[in-house]
Amino acid sequence: MKNTFWNLTALLIFIAVIFFLLIPVTRIVMGSFQTQEGGFWTLQNYKTFVAYNTYWKSLINSIGVSLVASFLTIIVAVPLAFVVSRWNVAGKPYIIALSTIPLMLPSFICAYSWVVLLGRSGIITGLLQSLGLPFKSIYGYGGIIMIFSMQLYPYVFLMTLSGFNSVDESIEEAGRSLGTGPIKTFIKVSMPLVLPSILSGTLLVFMTAVENFGVPMIIGEQRPFLAVQAYVEFTSDISRHPGMCYAISVVMILVTLSSLAAQRYYLRKRNFMQSAKGRPLIKECHGWKRKFATAYCFGVVLTPLIPFFVAVIISFMEMRGPVIHPNFSLENYIYAFKHSYEPIFNSYFLATIATIASVIVGVPAGYILTRRRSAVGDALDIAIMLPFTIAGTVLGIALIVMFNTGILILTGTWMILALSYTIRKMPFIARSSSSILYQLDPSLEEASISLGVSPMKTFFKVTIRLMAAGIVSGAVLTWVTTISELSSTIVLQTPGWSTMTVEMFQGIISGEMGVANAFASILIISAIVPLLLMMRFVKDERASLF
Amino acid sequence: MAGIRIQDVKKRFGNLMAVNSVTLDIEKGEFFTLLGPSGCGKTTLLRCVAGFLEPEDGHIFFGDRRVEGTPTHTRGVGMVFQNYAVFPHLSVRENVKYGLKARKVSAGEQERRSREALAMVQLAGLENRLPNQLSGGQLQRVAIARALVIEPEVLLMDEPLSNLDAKLRVEMRGEIRQLQKTMGITTIYVTHDQEEALSISDRIAVMDHGNIRQIARPWEIYTQPADPFVAGFIGSTNMVSVEVIECKDNLLVAQCGGVLFGLPLQEGVEPGMRMMLSIRPEIFTVAPPQDSLPDSYWSLNGRIARIEYLGSMVKYEADISDTVKLLITGYNIEPMNLRRAGDAVRLVYPMKRVLTFMEDAR
Repeated sequence: MKNTFWNLTALLIFIAVIFFLLIPVTRIVMGSFQTQEGGFWTLQNYKTFVAYNTYWKSLINSIGVSLVASFLTIIVAVPLAFVVSRWNVAGKPYIIALSTIPLMLPSFICAYSWVVLLGRSGIITGLLQSLGLPFKSIYGYGGIIMIFSMQLYPYVFLMTLSGFNSVDESIEEAGRSLGTGPIKTFIKVSMPLVLPSILSGTLLVFMTAVENFGVPMIIGEQRPFLAVQAYVEFTSDISRHPGMCYAISVVMILVTLSSLAAQRYYLRKRNFMQSAKGRPLIKECHGWKRKFATAYCFGVVLTPLIPFFVAVIISFMEMRGPVIHPNFSLENYIYAFKHSYEPIFNSYFLATIATIASVIVGVPAGYILTRRRSAVGDALDIAIMLPFTIAGTVLGIALIVMFNTGILILTGTWMILALSYTIRKMPFIARSSSSILYQLDPSLEEASISLGVSPMKTFFKVTIRLMAAGIVSGAVLTWVTTISELSSTIVLQTPGWSTMTVEMFQGIISGEMGVANAFASILIISAIVPLLLMMRFVKDERASLF
Repeated sequence: MAGIRIQDVKKRFGNLMAVNSVTLDIEKGEFFTLLGPSGCGKTTLLRCVAGFLEPEDGHIFFGDRRVEGTPTHTRGVGMVFQNYAVFPHLSVRENVKYGLKARKVSAGEQERRSREALAMVQLAGLENRLPNQLSGGQLQRVAIARALVIEPEVLLMDEPLSNLDAKLRVEMRGEIRQLQKTMGITTIYVTHDQEEALSISDRIAVMDHGNIRQIARPWEIYTQPADPFVAGFIGSTNMVSVEVIECKDNLLVAQCGGVLFGLPLQEGVEPGMRMMLSIRPEIFTVAPPQDSLPDSYWSLNGRIARIEYLGSMVKYEADISDTVKLLITGYNIEPMNLRRAGDAVRLVYPMKRVLTFMEDAR
């Protein structure tokens, strides 16, 4: 039968998901019900969680900070998306391209750079205080929320933008013709149609914020957060009783899972499929109005990029420990390359392996999701959604526990890092492949088969060719985001397999700012260059979108 | 080339019986059309023949070769799709060569055959264009050339003209018919457009809810529909449910809502029976009030309620009684003879051209 190839592929993906994700996570869940002595089925760890301030406060902090940040991103991103979609602002492609950059770069670099500017002895802090303003520093909840919002608003912006773009002009005109004014039409017709997009983006913001490790670690100043707490428990408790660490992990999974469930429940009845053929109505404005709108848009997308400029500039300055001297110097780079070129190589190597693996698994998975819709496809859909809900720290811990002993020992090797990256990034490739396929007419494949080319060959001769641009963009985004991964790397790295992000993080924590900045700059350039190349060579609208 | 035999083919989607035990014999070289409303199972049946779907039951033969279970790519079909399905990443020439390459035809032969095929569909000179530089009609020509160049045993066409504009559609159907006759290739053509089916086919199978209602040549389908569904689906008609009230001499009289219809006498029909009449709008003539009629004609008196002027023809809606309304079409009418709404008219029809269906037979 012609389905054998795809059934086999689906089966392999399932086995991989079960073996590399479900079983490790299940072991964490089971472990959380274990006592210190190894006895089973106790709620002791959860009781401890509720009883100790540090633990339950970490839950409150994680949820609270992420919620406020999600709310802020809506306030920032939705008006921006509206203006970019509906007004004739200048340089739209640049606005969109610039807006994607924060997603590509590690948030803890951003946090650290803000510390340089707004820390206790920050450059701007001093300025503000000399003006008599009561500003203290960026440390604390406010700072974390600000950084999350700046870093993650693109999720909401990009999704809302495509939502606004797909509201057909005629739908709004229909509203207008039935007697509602432009503002009322917007509220009654356009907003409800765009709301699912806004919520999908917001969910991504929330989940990414909950799982973020670097930002609260750097500017949280001992305020407890789930992701940090799991890591702390793991590194301090590994020899003794890991149950507490598992319990925290389970709480984190519950937080992300329930937010996903809430979103799915809400969207269940609100799936407004719209033909993408329509074009939204563009409001033409001229003179100062247009200039003002353009300035507003660029202002919003450029502000979050400030810390990255700062990081690059500082990297060329002389550093003594945490103290910056305003002299030009290549010392940091010389040190970084001479002393430890290994992390650079490791980051590139691991990202490349993970990207290749993600494409090999993700593209067929996306194909099955779209073209082989069946019970298998539905189950795969859920299996592929799972990695989204498992925080990097938790995944790292689960993989270590799973592959520490037994038939397959990976802990301490580079493979466990590549595996973790693949698990985390493959769903993105699968999703983006699936959305490309939705736009590809299935009869193209049938035409090829009817002309005498087998289904499997057709997949390679026709389907893959037509998806190529989208796959390349997806692969570039995967590579770029993988080199800046920290939350699972910090758990999984071992001597000899440290990455740029780990070096940077440890540099920041230990006050070796010079090296941290050099790596930060290398990382920023490593991310920007492929993105620019991709935008130049891949003529594909989706290239700039997630 | 081979004929196609479809034997008791069944296909179900969940609870829906998409194709219900269909049996068809299509002759070698025949242009055979599956016609029916959307959801009638015609595309499903075509896709079973193509091999994109496997029937749950029954057999499909190309000549003597049983093909169910044979994957599409080795089945030897050529297929033309509704939305062209021309590969956007390949030039016109490469599109046409695609199937030849899969068959490992030599390069020279590929070149020769693709050139011939493109000349046949009048696309010579456009070989190097990319699909996005072609119009809808040109794309469909590429798709046809691509399907024919591999010299398939059977040609399958799934609503190939429905994405084209009305004028091009009429033009292309003539060309498709011409090509098919010249090549003598057995063809199954799927459409929901009854006019297209009538104009293009050797034979038509009318389908409804997974069942075949009638298989016949175009004029038979139109003039002798097997049941009220076929009568109503093909062309427009007046369906009137009547009760037989009198049978005498050569005349049968039936009534509906107080209006009496004269019909030729039929064997086994007795007063009290119920029948469904299908009266084509074009069999009526508007006659002067007092003219005497030959015995084989019947007349009804009514009033024009609405008129729709379409140039080559006129459509009237006439009220015969409060409940009986009839549609009438007139061709070649002098402007001075045009009726207006409100005019009293006498409608005359030849009785033997009224189609009758016993109500129980439904």
